[in-house]
Amino acid sequence: MFEKVLIANRGEIALRIIRACKELGIRTLAVYSEADVDSLHVQLADEAICIGAPPSSESYLKIDRIMSAAEVGDVDAIHPGYGFLAENAHFAEVCESCKIKFIGPPVSAMQAMGDKNSARAYARKAGVSVTPGSDGIVENEQEAMKVARRIGFPIMIKAVAGGGGRGMRMAHNEASLGPAFHAAGNEAQKAFGNGALYIEKLIINPHHIEFQIIADQHGHTVHLGERDCSIQRRNQKVIEECPSPLISPGLRKKMGHAAIKLAQSVGYQNAGTMEFLVDNEGHYYFIEMNTRIQVEHTITEEVYGCDLVKEQILIAANERLSPHVAHAEPRLHAIQCRINAEDPEKNFQPSPGRIAFYYAPGGRGVRVDSHAYTGYVVPPYYDSMIAKLITIGATRASAIARMRRALDEYYITGIKTTVPFHSAIMRNADFRNGIYDTGFVERLMNSDDFEIKAMPARLHE
Amino acid sequence: MDLKDIKAIIDLMKKNDLSVFEMEKDGFRLKLQKGAGEQTVFSSPAPAAPAPVVTAPGTAAAPASEATASSALTDIVSPMVGTFYRAGSPETPAFVDVGKEVSEETVVCIIEAMKVMNEIKAETKGVIAEIVAENGKPVQFGQVLFRVK
Repeated sequence: MFEKVLIANRGEIALRIIRACKELGIRTLAVYSEADVDSLHVQLADEAICIGAPPSSESYLKIDRIMSAAEVGDVDAIHPGYGFLAENAHFAEVCESCKIKFIGPPVSAMQAMGDKNSARAYARKAGVSVTPGSDGIVENEQEAMKVARRIGFPIMIKAVAGGGGRGMRMAHNEASLGPAFHAAGNEAQKAFGNGALYIEKLIINPHHIEFQIIADQHGHTVHLGERDCSIQRRNQKVIEECPSPLISPGLRKKMGHAAIKLAQSVGYQNAGTMEFLVDNEGHYYFIEMNTRIQVEHTITEEVYGCDLVKEQILIAANERLSPHVAHAEPRLHAIQCRINAEDPEKNFQPSPGRIAFYYAPGGRGVRVDSHAYTGYVVPPYYDSMIAKLITIGATRASAIARMRRALDEYYITGIKTTVPFHSAIMRNADFRNGIYDTGFVERLMNSDDFEIKAMPARLHE
Repeated sequence: MDLKDIKAIIDLMKKNDLSVFEMEKDGFRLKLQKGAGEQTVFSSPAPAAPAPVVTAPGTAAAPASEATASSALTDIVSPMVGTFYRAGSPETPAFVDVGKEVSEETVVCIIEAMKVMNEIKAETKGVIAEIVAENGKPVQFGQVLFRVK
């Protein structure tokens, strides 16, 4: 087992990893930017090293400084969390050459699945259906037009190096294809340093269903069911639930089997997620794989009764998949709301700053993964998520009732948060009936009866 | 202004959650500041010709900054994570000592990161006043290595 692990991340996921390490008796080393000196993960880690100025490019993305800290701290392994360097194959290679274990998949699997185009090719080879689209990179507008005419409009133009919903544009007809093609390429070049694009058929208002994969270094691969992540705003997930109200046991078996087959075909190890689009007729299409732990791993943990981050560390330390994970069955229902420091009444504009008062909900079936606390200053340099609120229930209805109750209890002042936005969704009839798709949030916000109620002042500060 | 007026101002501050109140009138200056637990109240008679609240930039500023510059110390901070060494090798003498004059290009120390010895330059002019970092010990980004006057 590892003696010391460096956490190459920040915020709630850094805290999550530190907690798993502490429970396994592993010492922790946090690396942080100057903006995170008062962050909870820095305070709770056994050791902490400042690695740079606030901007991510000056700190959390600085491979040389992170490796320096790893050397100075004499660590055995590095957990990259999600985002930042988590899916950076070069970083994983550097770790390997420094004889420090990268807690994640092998470099070859990251490379195979990291390129969206290559991932689609592997899927086709493994007999897993993919969204109709281009056979590879689309070099120019003329080629794009040919593909679009073959598969039919509307189409989605996507970056091969993309992630997090960026570097993508829709085109509904021939006239809009050119501008969309160039816009996507420019955004991709800027965000990922790679402007290469491919094309997929745009499935109108699909359901975004993803399968959790976990595999040890001894050839044992299992899936831990699906998560429904269709509730998105501008291609960013806001609410996730497990299991999906859409997926029948038969479809779960078919898709799960496909996910395992694909993961095995690239020699995948550790935790990963296969993403699919599913239409209302039970047709599913592979879109991409995320070769890391995800933000919403939490709801799978609650439903399948496991600790995925601990399992990641154990797998990296060459342990076999824990029996309770290998034979996990879904019980219970779980929902997660991502609480962001954004003002839902002002078009979700970011709301960084000092949290004057912070009270998180508790009680039976409530889990809060958050690095926030009273007095914490939310920095403006990173993503706006400050907490993940998860509720667990015996049924979907009780999980929703619990989420409503928990959101009403959540009391954060000093900054604006998306708590009221989530409350409005929990009260929405369609959501409560399990009738939603990726177009849900937009339709809801454009409708007349959507109201975000301001938080009443209830707690004494 | 009497104690009753000051108490009224304090009440208003509490009600409106204000932490600082400052006023100046006819040679009388009052500042109330809500501290951690304790409220400090002080007032002082202003100079005969009350100084304007806003000074013209450049006129009052220049002499003040010159005065502070001569007594202030400049920090040389670490631009990277690694191990701090005062000399190039155990046999060679230290690059700088207290009292040594440095210019922007003067190498003041080595920071070893990933087996690479990086020469760190002073990037400031002056005389070494203090050696803050410890020889052979790890340093992090932004950590003070030397103080220069």
